[in-house]
Amino acid sequence: MTHNQKIKNKLKSLKLRQFSICKTLLLIIFISSSSFAQDSIEGEWMLTLNGGKAQIDNSVVIGAPTDNKAAIIGQLSLKESNGNWEGHVEGGPVEINVEGDAIEILIDSRDLAGFVFFRRLTGRHSDQGMSGTFTIEGTTETPEAGGHWMATRKTSENINLPPQPVDISGIWTPAPGMDFRKYSMDLTDKAQTWHDDYINHYDQPNVRCVSPGIVAIVAWGAYPFEILESNNRLTFLYEVDSEIRRIFMNDKQPPEYFPPSAMGFSNGHWNGNTLLIETQLLEGNVRDFRGEPISEGARMHEQYNLSKDGNTLTAVITLLDPDNYKKSPIRRRKWIRNPNTEIYPYECDPDSFFRQMYNENKLDMYFDRSHRRQID
Amino acid sequence: MSSFKRNLKIILFLMLYSSTVNSHHSFAVEFTAERIIEIKGVVTEIWFRNPHVRYYIDTINKSNKIENWDVRTSSPSLLVRKGWTKKTIQVGDEISIIGHPGRDDRKLLSVISIKLPDGSSLGQDYPDSHELGEKK
Repeated sequence: MTHNQKIKNKLKSLKLRQFSICKTLLLIIFISSSSFAQDSIEGEWMLTLNGGKAQIDNSVVIGAPTDNKAAIIGQLSLKESNGNWEGHVEGGPVEINVEGDAIEILIDSRDLAGFVFFRRLTGRHSDQGMSGTFTIEGTTETPEAGGHWMATRKTSENINLPPQPVDISGIWTPAPGMDFRKYSMDLTDKAQTWHDDYINHYDQPNVRCVSPGIVAIVAWGAYPFEILESNNRLTFLYEVDSEIRRIFMNDKQPPEYFPPSAMGFSNGHWNGNTLLIETQLLEGNVRDFRGEPISEGARMHEQYNLSKDGNTLTAVITLLDPDNYKKSPIRRRKWIRNPNTEIYPYECDPDSFFRQMYNENKLDMYFDRSHRRQID
Repeated sequence: MSSFKRNLKIILFLMLYSSTVNSHHSFAVEFTAERIIEIKGVVTEIWFRNPHVRYYIDTINKSNKIENWDVRTSSPSLLVRKGWTKKTIQVGDEISIIGHPGRDDRKLLSVISIKLPDGSSLGQDYPDSHELGEKK
């Protein structure tokens, strides 16, 4: 073998080795990048939908501006287990399909009139973000168009800031946008068993003029409420059900034997210019109009923020009730300052509710179901 | 009219006319979201209170018998803000209503729009009859 041949063979062997090393490196990069892409989308994301017409009927609320571009916001949680993806939006389960960098999310929602429909999100993901388009499936009474969506990583919010209170006193009218109005939640077996036998138009508290409680009221879509500020106290006056709520801003503890109630006992404090409210001593009740239960001992966390111009108030409302929910349900609300209205009277009389059952011979059935109206 | 055109009109109607109902409880449990019907009759009783404003309406059915319908709309405080008070509709008024019927053939109707004796509308604009895919 000549010297040149030796060199050629050496180079050939080197090239083969290099090629083999390159191949191995590429394989490692491919495997790690593909598994990184799959694993990396696990965790908490903030989902924003733009272009969907807002889920509020402008005609029912005086003073609410038309805002067809109001964004809908929700917390998306993704988890992979044995090759299967599990997803939640605002604490409720959603269908997830992930193939390569393609992702599809199917989210059920309930519109203001009670129609259940779906938003189908399709798009692409990376470990940095997701985006795509969405369409509407099913009947909605408040028409909604599809549009674009995007998701970014949720950032940590655990920062303690010195109090910087802002003036949130005044009358606030519901405004379009923000809330997903997620329909189904991830119920525990106990809650699911209870809920399976729930009949909304017989068991829902407000159909017989009984307060459904603060968790439902704070997320109600149509009625205004008023905030009064006084020394160490905020007072919220809700038009719906004429409910009154006191928020103690001085760490006041409930008096001895203070009973659980529909409105509970609320303490608040300012974290920077964010108002945080914790409510305890809630009685057994329902979370919203679907009738999912709230246990005695549940707590509610609210976070209120005022816009820079002082005219828009937003809230994120989280129910903490592990007895009934595997993941905490989240609602989001937005209100516009409205000095042109007042809180109107809200008298309620259950006569027509009982008359209908009388006419349909269902009164016996109703009273046989009394246990359904007691939640522990 | 072909069924396609009729369905298209219903869809367009649904897109244009949102219900005046702001349900306190689950609308879908009691009412048929997919159907819209029209009834015409005489107001026999008015219940202008929460949890829902109700009008009881006598209609004549196909068998020439009187049927009493329980017609529901929104909360008084939301209606009066729009000038729709308890005196807007009187007992004895002959009115037409379009809305979503109750499930299981119950004589319930969730109001989308009401046409008053003078031809004016409450709720959303009252559509022409031919725009409805189904009539009572």
